[in-house]
Amino acid sequence: MSQTHTKDEIIRTVTDLVATEFGRPAAELTPDRDLTSVEGADSVKVLRSVARIERTYDIELEDDQVFGFKTIDDVADAVATLLAERG
Amino acid sequence: MTGLTTEADSRDGGPAELPWRVLPDYQCFGCSPANERGLGLRFRHTPDGGLACTLAFDRAFESYPGVVHGGMSATVCDEIMGNLLVLRLGVSVFTTSMRTRYVEPLAIGATYHCTASTEAVAGDTGPYTAHAQITDAAGQAVVFVTGSYQPVTPEQAKARMAMSDDEVRLVDEALSALRTD
Repeated sequence: MSQTHTKDEIIRTVTDLVATEFGRPAAELTPDRDLTSVEGADSVKVLRSVARIERTYDIELEDDQVFGFKTIDDVADAVATLLAERG
Repeated sequence: MTGLTTEADSRDGGPAELPWRVLPDYQCFGCSPANERGLGLRFRHTPDGGLACTLAFDRAFESYPGVVHGGMSATVCDEIMGNLLVLRLGVSVFTTSMRTRYVEPLAIGATYHCTASTEAVAGDTGPYTAHAQITDAAGQAVVFVTGSYQPVTPEQAKARMAMSDDEVRLVDEALSALRTD
């Protein structure tokens, strides 16, 4: 992806991908929701979500970031930073 | 032997015939049917222009008890991505990097499905990017890989591979045929 992405767009995309992997309605996943509190959440679902986010944006998140994500906003910030660095 | 199998399914677009078959002593660890210690991967086209194969590993490829060594899943993904690019572009490619995201370990004896895709098209000069994904029987993705590849000219192939002039010519002819398809 070479186009620019606003933070809101990234949050929407990340929310949709996480909601799909977690099997939960997107409306349930607010940007500041602690992902560990989501019903059925586990580390595999987080990793699978991260993999799909990386594929969607063609980016590579560092593992120390990945295992530190608490919220969708954390993920979106990391994605936005990488996309901004890529230009 | 690995117990690797290839099965047609609803994503089947027909068998993929690799250009390496023209070599009389083709021993690729990943995809040669003649290498008794190899994986013997057989690929099939997918309707969306990708490649697919099924895989299952026996204990010869074990890491932790009951777990497939992670290098094997990376090898399968490298093979399928590289061969997809070769078939799509009609050029040999060398892997220059791979990024592997392991989501869940593969289980010994279980059957998995691997698919590859790329947006590269004939005429692109490289480097090329391809993606591969291994899914379990329930359709859940367990490994994601992104690979980067560089094209290999016949001159580079001759310099870096143990092939005679005749073998270089045979492969180049097979690749040329792919470019004109």
